[in-house]
Amino acid sequence: MKLFKRILALSLCLTAVIQVMGSNDSSKEDKWYHFEYEVNAGTNIGGASPLPLPAEIRHIDSFNPNLDLQIGATITKWFGPTKKWGASLGLRFETKGMDTKAQVKDYGMEIWQDGEMLDGRWTGTVKTKYATQQLVVPITGVWRANKRLKVNAGPYLSYAFKNSFDGYVYDGYLRVGDPTGEKIEFNGDSRATYDFGSNLRKFQWGMQAGISWAAYEHLMVNANLAWGCNGIFEKSFKTISFAMYPIYLNLGFGYKF
Amino acid sequence: MEKNKDMNFIKTTVILMIATLMVSCIKEEPLNSECDIITAQLPDIVLVDNTIISNNNVEFTVRYDQPWPEYAPVFTITEGATISPSNGTVRDFTQPQTYTVTSQDGKWHKTYTVRVKRQNAPEDPKDEFIYMHYNFEHVRTLTTVGRTYDVFYEIDNEGEEEWAWATANSAYALTLQGKEPQDFPTYQANEGIDGKCAVLVTRGTGSFGASVKKPMAAGNLFMGSFDPKNALQKPLEATHFGMLFNETPISFSGFYKYKSGEEYCEPDAAGKLQPIEGKRDMFNLYAVMFEPTEEMPWLDGSNVLSESNPNIICTAIIPDRHESEEWVEFSVPFEYRPGKNIDIKKLQEGLYRLAIVMSSSENGDYFCGAIGSTLQVDQLTLVCKHDKLENQ
Repeated sequence: MKLFKRILALSLCLTAVIQVMGSNDSSKEDKWYHFEYEVNAGTNIGGASPLPLPAEIRHIDSFNPNLDLQIGATITKWFGPTKKWGASLGLRFETKGMDTKAQVKDYGMEIWQDGEMLDGRWTGTVKTKYATQQLVVPITGVWRANKRLKVNAGPYLSYAFKNSFDGYVYDGYLRVGDPTGEKIEFNGDSRATYDFGSNLRKFQWGMQAGISWAAYEHLMVNANLAWGCNGIFEKSFKTISFAMYPIYLNLGFGYKF
Repeated sequence: MEKNKDMNFIKTTVILMIATLMVSCIKEEPLNSECDIITAQLPDIVLVDNTIISNNNVEFTVRYDQPWPEYAPVFTITEGATISPSNGTVRDFTQPQTYTVTSQDGKWHKTYTVRVKRQNAPEDPKDEFIYMHYNFEHVRTLTTVGRTYDVFYEIDNEGEEEWAWATANSAYALTLQGKEPQDFPTYQANEGIDGKCAVLVTRGTGSFGASVKKPMAAGNLFMGSFDPKNALQKPLEATHFGMLFNETPISFSGFYKYKSGEEYCEPDAAGKLQPIEGKRDMFNLYAVMFEPTEEMPWLDGSNVLSESNPNIICTAIIPDRHESEEWVEFSVPFEYRPGKNIDIKKLQEGLYRLAIVMSSSENGDYFCGAIGSTLQVDQLTLVCKHDKLENQ
């Protein structure tokens, strides 16, 4: 939360700077001329992964990042007559998700049945489905490399208004409580479901960096890598003993007014 | 079209990159954290029953003519774990001994209580007939995952606790349906003929049971042991029927009350219970004597009443079971399977097993029955004939 506040403060400062720079522009030109507006849309490819992978994860059988979408708008303020440097403030709506299947050993697990919980250590197969819908505010610095190419980098803040992280376990066994507890085997068609959705973090922040290439006068091709700096789960959530960071590549198009 | 192709190419590349990144950083396998006794042996000692290994207990039963009471058990444990005292240490088993297994990663340890029971030496009793009574007066409670349930035991002639009875209550605990002993399929109640009695009730297993296509749990009580590891996927095979038995059974008698649940159901292909119009549930209560073999060391739900099971010697089955709100007295003789009889020498050597088996839904093994069906049982008696020993 402390970090989040800092980022918020930083973003407010940046916005203020953009404002001030705009209003104090000494050139005779129309100050609005230094603003650039863009609407964009694209797809998110990536996943939420612990870095590095913890020893509990023995093998990743399958990984599907799903087709996730984003739409948004960006406003950029260019500084100085050369328009070499600028700052951007964006707002985008995006979905992120992934489906994974992995082999784990001694993996923290909570199985839910009829509102009752059985926790322990799972060894076997875990299927996970992660999906989130977020509002993201990126605040980035922009550098124009040449007439067509812009490079941007900076932090982003996000708020998740819909979150899910659930799945099921099978072909393995649960040690109830800890590794010395009762051993319950799940084989054949026996499976148990879990749902960690309510333990997902609502606010996240991270860093993003990318390029924007002007294919035509108004059409931009964008590629951005967004790297979450806090785990997708709340700190108080201990069942999964390691932090998982959202790492997504966003590819898309923009229309520049 | 071109753009789509490009997008697909980029997407595939990114997936491959991420996958490679993830796979390339799979860490070395962590050391084992479990500390289980997997097998247990008493080298050079003749045992007369299957060694029981649970999560915290090991129990051997040695033949009456074997040395007593010092043994040097040998255990196999989870890979990399250590056991203390070490394998082969000679200890006095007059009292149960404890062993501590420490995991390979050193972070976990578990204490096992290891018992050695000795088979009673055969002796000639004064009377030709022996009456074995089971009155269900004694229970102890056990707790699994915060659920407490009853475990029945008997007191033998020497005043020692004899854990003859087993139930599937420990597996029912894992469905998280019951909290108190009375919520379980099998428990002790006060309404016995004289004192307490055993109550068996067919229960639903909730969403968890449904998810593993095992939508009901019939009340059950039997002589033998229950294998909780098998309970969820192979419940029929989890019930290990049979106790060491050294007498020739003549008849099986006792008292029961029975009431079928309201709605008889059978599971459909998806494992969901479907009501069957007009059908009532029926209980089961019988005794079976058999000769275990290496391939079939015990009987289980899949073969205990099978007509073609070659190990079965004789059975005592109540022919006219019916619903009743009053206690019904029954007494049935043991009937021998064609060509089968009891060999006195084998009887002396402890080569036969006997099981009394009861269930509140006779087809409960296959998840057919009525939830709520209730069987009460009290004052069971096995009348046995004591054949004169040879060699004495």
